[in-house]
Amino acid sequence: MNAYVLGYLPLFDLFLLHLGLAYSQWLVLRSGVFSLATVGVAGVGAYTGGVLVVTYGLPAPVALVAAAIGGGLVSLLLAIPLARLRGVYQAIATVAFIQIMLSLNNYAEKITGGAAGLNGIPKVVDTLTLAVCALATIYLMTAITGSRIGRAFDAIRQNEAVAASLGVSIEAHHRLAFIVSGALAGFYGALEAFHSYTLVPSQFGFPFLIAILSYVVFGGRNTIWGPIVGTALLIILPELARPLAEARMLVYGLLLILTINFLPKGVADTLIERIHAKRLRAKPAPAPAPTAGS
Amino acid sequence: MLEVSDLQVRYSGIQALRGVSLNVGAGEVVALIGPNGAGKSTLVNAVSGLVKPAAGRILMEGRDLAAMDPWAVSKSGVIQVPEGRQVFPQLNVLENLQLGETALQGRPPAGGLEDVYDLFPVLKERSAQLAGSLSGGQQQMLAIGRALMGAPRFLLLDEPSLGLAPVVIAQVFAALRKLKSRGMTILLIEQNVRLALDLADRAYILDQGKIVLSGTSQELAADASVVAHYLGVMSE
Repeated sequence: MNAYVLGYLPLFDLFLLHLGLAYSQWLVLRSGVFSLATVGVAGVGAYTGGVLVVTYGLPAPVALVAAAIGGGLVSLLLAIPLARLRGVYQAIATVAFIQIMLSLNNYAEKITGGAAGLNGIPKVVDTLTLAVCALATIYLMTAITGSRIGRAFDAIRQNEAVAASLGVSIEAHHRLAFIVSGALAGFYGALEAFHSYTLVPSQFGFPFLIAILSYVVFGGRNTIWGPIVGTALLIILPELARPLAEARMLVYGLLLILTINFLPKGVADTLIERIHAKRLRAKPAPAPAPTAGS
Repeated sequence: MLEVSDLQVRYSGIQALRGVSLNVGAGEVVALIGPNGAGKSTLVNAVSGLVKPAAGRILMEGRDLAAMDPWAVSKSGVIQVPEGRQVFPQLNVLENLQLGETALQGRPPAGGLEDVYDLFPVLKERSAQLAGSLSGGQQQMLAIGRALMGAPRFLLLDEPSLGLAPVVIAQVFAALRKLKSRGMTILLIEQNVRLALDLADRAYILDQGKIVLSGTSQELAADASVVAHYLGVMSE
């Protein structure tokens, strides 16, 4: 491989790591939950993985599985009080959760190393591992959302009362979305830990939350392509505009404002919708039934 | 089959239902009519479990529906066709219908997809189309078809004629008549009184949260006060 390509490998790694977290965020939004807990749960996963390997000497694969399970459990616990909240109240509660996790990681110095960070984590995760994980994640997301469960998610998001009156259990589906989203966040948090040598609590704070949320909003919330397109564009764009790379968050913010205004469904979702519409128009329209409605 | 007794519902202080009692026997079609804001939809939503009553009981074959979550109510076979259709606009026709199967959970399907397509052939033609792009009449047919996919033992219809052209209303009610002839138990909410009395065996008139009159459809259609209030000058 030539040096030019190798130079961009770290960027590709970043894309793969963030893609997993974007799917964690995407899944809850798809099921009609406005939870922003992904980053907080990723922090739990990262420290679970890091501490298990550094302090207890467990092998990294075991620590990764533990981080995924831990993330799923924390997220499930979070789902219980959040079941009664909707929309922006869920968002606020989960932002508070992120702050609590951040503070806990800061204060639990004996376990996490506190603000000085958790150091000496072995870097065992390479690009290939990340790529395999990302493909597996995309497969899992496609399988879930293409199934009966995915349709139930769509129904709940579009009209919760009608979904319930058709027999869709809101509680059960929301809980499922929380568990899978949390397990993903925990897993990718640990991948992040094993991809760098060190962890600091502030890594999993508000700026990271905004970045992950931007990927999904920018790319699209309803199709499987949304997180891929959003994460890729938002990681590549600041690199293309090297002089702006320092102002990454500023670029994110601007792009978000522009997307919300002009492509409210996100880049990928809007494109897919237009392609579908084109295809429908290209097909000869079915003869309108003489009985067609009002 | 369904027995509602002394049902009271309050929305943050406002009393929407003030002690409503009614019953629907197996195989019966019962209409609930009344003016806007009488509490008709509130009653349907209370039966569906979407609204929790302040007092009273809703017994379906001895089980109290008021204590159940809405999804448990529909899984027990009491399925609502909501007011204003409320199909899922971003899903296609087939996906909407398949969602209706969620209510089955172990119970055998009634006629399934074929039966629904038989009842509403236009849904078959448009099965791949997004539900949001259907006409109002087609959406109403989809909403009814979606409920039928859950093999209802008791069908709650909330204003199936709302906002539809007369020719489409006739089609929808022809389908309802077919369901009635098969012995489906139906509670029908309608503002179009003539239409409702035409289809139903019996009817209740709800006004300001109370049942003010009840009887067979023939009795009510002949009742001078009903004619004056609800059928107006259109009666012959």
